[in-house]
Order: sequence, then structure tokens, then C-alpha cells
Amino acid sequence: MGRDIAVLVKASLNPEIVRQVSEGIYDIDYTPLKISDVDRNALEEAARLKGILGGKVYSITVLTWGPSKARDKDLKLAVQEALAKVADEAYVVVDDNVIPGDPIVTSNAIVGVLKSKGLKPTLILAGEASVDESTSQVPGRVAAKLGYSYVGYVRRVLEVREGSVVVERDVEEYVETLEAPLPAVLSVTQEINEPRPPTLIQIRMASRKPLYTLKLSDIGLDVKPKRLIRDMRVITVFRKQVLVEEASMEKAVEKLLEYLEREGVLRV
Amino acid sequence: MKALVISQRPSDAGELVALAKGFGEPVILAFQESASKVDEVAAYGCRVYRVRSDRPEALYKAAFSLYESLNPKIIVGPSTKNVKDATALLAGSLDIPMVTEVVELSDGGSVLTYKRGFMSERVTMKAEVPYPVIALVNPKIVEPAEKAGRGEVIDLNVGELKVNIVGVRAKELSGVKLEEAEVVIGVGRGFKSKEDLKLAFELAKILNAQVGGTRPIAADLKWLPEDAWIGISGKKITPKLYIAVGVSGAPQHMSGVSGSKVIVAVNKDKSAPIFKQADYGVVADLYKFLPILTSKLREKFPGRA
Ligand SMILES: Cc1cc2nc3c(=O)[nH]c(=O)nc-3n(C[C@H](O)[C@H](O)[C@H](O)COP(=O)(O)OP(=O)(O)OC[C@H]3O[C@@H](n4cnc5c(N)ncnc54)[C@H](O)[C@@H]3O)c2cc1C
Repeated sequence: MGRDIAVLVKASLNPEIVRQVSEGIYDIDYTPLKISDVDRNALEEAARLKGILGGKVYSITVLTWGPSKARDKDLKLAVQEALAKVADEAYVVVDDNVIPGDPIVTSNAIVGVLKSKGLKPTLILAGEASVDESTSQVPGRVAAKLGYSYVGYVRRVLEVREGSVVVERDVEEYVETLEAPLPAVLSVTQEINEPRPPTLIQIRMASRKPLYTLKLSDIGLDVKPKRLIRDMRVITVFRKQVLVEEASMEKAVEKLLEYLEREGVLRV
Repeated sequence: MKALVISQRPSDAGELVALAKGFGEPVILAFQESASKVDEVAAYGCRVYRVRSDRPEALYKAAFSLYESLNPKIIVGPSTKNVKDATALLAGSLDIPMVTEVVELSDGGSVLTYKRGFMSERVTMKAEVPYPVIALVNPKIVEPAEKAGRGEVIDLNVGELKVNIVGVRAKELSGVKLEEAEVVIGVGRGFKSKEDLKLAFELAKILNAQVGGTRPIAADLKWLPEDAWIGISGKKITPKLYIAVGVSGAPQHMSGVSGSKVIVAVNKDKSAPIFKQADYGVVADLYKFLPILTSKLREKFPGRA
């Protein structure tokens, strides 16, 4: 049985920063990238499981949003976090020919990295959804292409056995316990752990670890995105944003109740 | 041309059949609850293939074999976890596009044109992908199809599965319909313990409100039942009044409350993002603010609590 773990880390568009270019049109170029939140849970879990499995950890990142020149800094920051947290080496696929990407490009590129570099992880960990697209499909696609077993929405990794892994999976109304044969792809939920930020020493060490930046041709891949984005519009909900600032808490309560009374939402 | 419908619950079948009709002749693949209540699913007059299982892997294998034999132009289904996990495997092995949480879809000739949320639902995206395609949709985006005589039911056998089920545990659910409440108090990690939530419940009592919360409060800490979390991966609410207490205002939470008429935020951090997304904000420690708010409301509505 192999002992290595691969972690899929996405540099996602940051949904906390949504700006308009003009009337309602989403300004994608302005939006910075950041590591997708749940990928931090995947990295934390990889750190824990590395202690059990004892193998290597590598992170794989495929740049979806471009142009790559403008994204370089944000992308590095996300990958450095993976390296600082747990990864021994990082693989990053950056290719302006397939930007903006889609799940077809991303999953093929991930599999391309593994195959061309001869990497055979026994576990591949990913987040349950990215914070920009949240389609939850890349981990499953990767599993199908590699012939790995797949469990999505993992809330706990209970046990790693010789040849299998026992996990709890979150479904809408219930939680199930499953045994999946290794090698396996798992997507994890936020509840699996409490990610700790990397320490200063870890951050310093990260800059000495290998980071391989690859183009599609470097991994012998010829794939094109199939999705064509036509239009992106900001959903605007007008909010009054009134701050209730009064000398005392009593006054603030009274003022708030006055506002709510005027809105007609108190007497229901 | 065929359009394959994945039905997980009999209640989703009518809408999915109606959508599929816009693309081809619907054929249903019944899975999980729809497999055990197959008569309800067969009532739409389409042929039904049945896989008696609730495993995503079983659904994937069944859908794969039907894909090979029927050559459908589109596969439609609900955006649930089991269906997403199954169709992600299918999309990966066929290298075909898959789109999820779709709210609008139409046939654009050689492509599917669709609309869905993006950026934790703060943006809508319109895009197109070439056929064949997997399109998982949100509920209630179309009127259900009329029932039309009983379709033929054919059982599918998918053979051995790789992933074995060891046990199932039901989640603790409250059954409270936050979606229908007129006033909702949302509690966040600003509360320091489960006991402290009584401050929110006391306020709720006097306002005739329901109490919901952020995902970490319900799913992680389990201070509230699991059907009480509000947001992109939980409930979407549309009350007249939403009072968020000790909630930071993460986009994944706020997309679930954007349909509220009035939003009030109570947070001790003046720079918390929620203040930009609220109608009325109070910068205050909830432990000091809530008791005063509740007692003032008691004076105002003496009959209530
Ligand atoms: C894929 C994905 C899906 C998600 N889905 C959801 C979802 O559906 N719903 C959801 O809610 N979240 C969801 N999240 C999580 C979300 O990103 C946030 O982590 C979460 O909403 C934060 O919860 P919170 O506001 O309770 O906690 P925090 O962000 O920790 O905020 C706590 C707030 O309390 C304030 N506070 C602290 N003490 C006090 C006090 N004494 N008085 C007043 N204020 C105080 C703090 O200033 C802070 O602003 C999702 C995340 C991801 C990545």
C-alpha cells in the first residue's frame, strides 16, 4: 500500500469581495484569489493523516482564473499555505490557453500531474466545494479517471486500515459510516477539523520546499474548457446600513425598536 | 433523442420530467426513495429504470450503463449530495460537462444555456456547455409535468460496489420550518456556550420568532439541530425580520438570508462584514444588549411572555 497523500488546493475568487465594473456587471478581474476555505480543512486533515501513514504529501493546484500574470501573487500565497501547512512539494498548473478553466480542465490537469510525475497517492483529499463555483464535482471526476474509490462530504476519518479507510459521510438528513478501499478520493466538509494557521517556522520552511509550475504541454495534455461564460451579474440587495449609535445601551435599544416599529416588522 | 431523468424522491420527479421534455423524450432512472416508491414515479408515463439502492456508486453504475445504451442528450437530476457524488463520477469517466444548482436552462441548439449562482450566490452566471451534459437543478424552477398513465418499470442490477456501508445515523432535526417563519433570530459563534443561547430563545419568545444559526453553531458545535442552519448549504429564509446576533456575515451565510425584508445585526466588532449587509446595525456585546432588548420588548408587549 502506498503511503502518500495528495491534497487538491484551489485558488478561488474571494466571494467576500464582489465589485461591479458597471451597472450590475461583476468585476471578475478586480476580484482577488484566495485559498478556498474548505481546502484548509483538507490540508489540516492531511497533516493528521500524514502522522498515521508516514508518507509524503503533495499539493496540486490548477489555476482557473486569469490572466496568469495578474494572478501570480495570489496563487503563490495559496500554494505557500499548502507548503507551510503540510505539503512536501507543490505542483501548480498554469496555462493561459485554458483560462478561464472549468471542471473538465481542472480534473484532467490534476490527473495529468499525477500520471506524468509518476505519483501514486493512496489518498487524495479535497474540499467539499470551492467558495467561488461550489459545484463539488472535481474530486469525483478525479476518482473516476484514476479508478479510485470516492466518498464525498466526509465529516470524520475514523480509521485508516491496511487497504481501506473508514469515514463518516454527511448526507442531508443522516450521517453514514462507510468503508472505502484504498486508493481513495475523499472530499471533506468544514466540520472535519479546526484548521490551525501555519506557524512562523512552517511559513519560513515553506519557501525552501520544491514548487513545480507546469504548463499543460509539460504534462502531455491537450484539453480545452467546454464552458463558455456569457454573463456575470452581481445580485444587489439594497440594505440601509444604518448604525445605531447611542450614548447608552438602553438608548440604543430604544432607537432600534423605533426603527423596527417604523418598518412595521415588530408586530407579527 | 432521449433525456435521462434521475429521480431521488417521488416529489422531484414531476419537475424533472417537465424540464427533460424540453430536450427530448424523458426516461427515468429511479434511485433511493424513488426506487422504493416507484409507482409514484412511473405515473408520469415514462419508462422507469430502477436501481434499488441509496449508494452514489450504484447510481453512477446504473447511469453509466443507461448512458451507453440510450445515448441521452442531457441528464437532469436534483442538486443533492448523493446525486452530485454519482454524477461527478459519471461526468469524470465520460469527460462531459456537469452543471449544478441550475435555476434556468434552455436548449441553445448545440449547447445547453443555463443560469446558476456564483461566488457563494452573490453573483449569477449565465453560461453554455455543449451536449451531452449533466444538469442538476434547484427545486421549484418549473411547474411539475402532468401525470400520464403508468410507465413500464425495469430493474437494473449494478453488481458489486467498492464502498461498503457500515452504519447510518439519523441527524437530530427540529422539524422547525425556518423557511416559513416571519421573524428569525440567527445565532453565531459570538455566543460562548450552548446555555447562552437561552438569551436568543427568550428574545424569540417575545417576538414570536424561530431561532436558527450559522453552520458552525449547528453542524460543528451541535448547539442547534442540523436543520436549523441558514445559508448556502442550509436553509434559505425569507422572514420580515432577521436578527443576526454574534454572526460575522460570511457570504455563505448571507446568501441564505438575502430574501429577508429587514436585517438587524448585533456584533461587538464594528468592522464585521455583516454591518454592510444589514439595515440596522448595533455595535454591542450581545451579552449586554440582548437582555436589555428582551426586557424592553416585555414592557412593550406585556401580554406575550
Ligand atoms: C462551502 C461552504 C459552505 C458554507 N455554508 C455555510 C452555510 O450554509 N451557513 C453558514 O452560516 N455558514 C456556512 N459556511 C461557513 C461560513 O463561511 C462561516 O464560517 C460561518 O458562517 C461563520 O459563522 P459565524 O458568523 O457564527 O462565526 P464567526 O465568523 O466566527 O463570527 C462570530 C462573530 O461574533 C462576533 N462576536 C463575538 N463575541 C461577541 C459578543 N460577545 N457579542 C457580539 N458579537 C460577538 C464576532 O465579532 C464575529 O463577527 C460555509 C463555508 C463554506 C466554505
